[in-house]
Amino acid sequence: MKKLPLLPHIYQRVGFLLFIPFLLLSISYAGWDYEIPWLSYSKPSQQLIDFNNHNFTDELALAGLIVSLLLISFSKEKIEDEAIQFFRLASLQWAVLVNYLILILCVMLVYGSGFLSVILYNMFTVLVIFIVRFRFVLYQHNKSNP
Amino acid sequence: MKNKLKIQRAIHDLTQDDLAKRISVSRQTINTVESGKYIPSTALALKMAKTFGISVEELFQLEEGD
Repeated sequence: MKKLPLLPHIYQRVGFLLFIPFLLLSISYAGWDYEIPWLSYSKPSQQLIDFNNHNFTDELALAGLIVSLLLISFSKEKIEDEAIQFFRLASLQWAVLVNYLILILCVMLVYGSGFLSVILYNMFTVLVIFIVRFRFVLYQHNKSNP
Repeated sequence: MKNKLKIQRAIHDLTQDDLAKRISVSRQTINTVESGKYIPSTALALKMAKTFGISVEELFQLEEGD
């Protein structure tokens, strides 16, 4: 099988290390409106509604979460042979399918502003489901071959 | 697909780990191929056959339904 382009194995650990602080930052922003002071941007404006004042904490948290999940998802395993690549692709297919089934369910069941949260979470769920599924498949692969 | 990997390993006195190292895959992969859970690529099948000095057809055979 032709090798998939993947990052070296070390980036998986980098991804996990970055994921924790960005997750905490996202939770503190979403839960307690925490903002990092030096990420504020303000431009003097004469208008009544001021679009020029903005804090970039949420942008940093979102981008950081996505980047760390991508690093975890697309780094090689210690031994990345073709069977592992097959499991990787199969898990990705499974994750995309399950992600959209959940989304359809949410479309049917969640209305109004609540749906915005669904869209927000849906930005990550495909990667999260993929990571969990792939880890589970690898665990089973290793368990069945002691 | 049937395979004679286990028999060939026994003939050549190779463990799963030995074979895995020779063809640069993990031992678990050899195991899943042996048990028929994973069908290897042409390249890997050729490498396996070459290790045993036989043809791919001798190592792997199609089954009904394949």
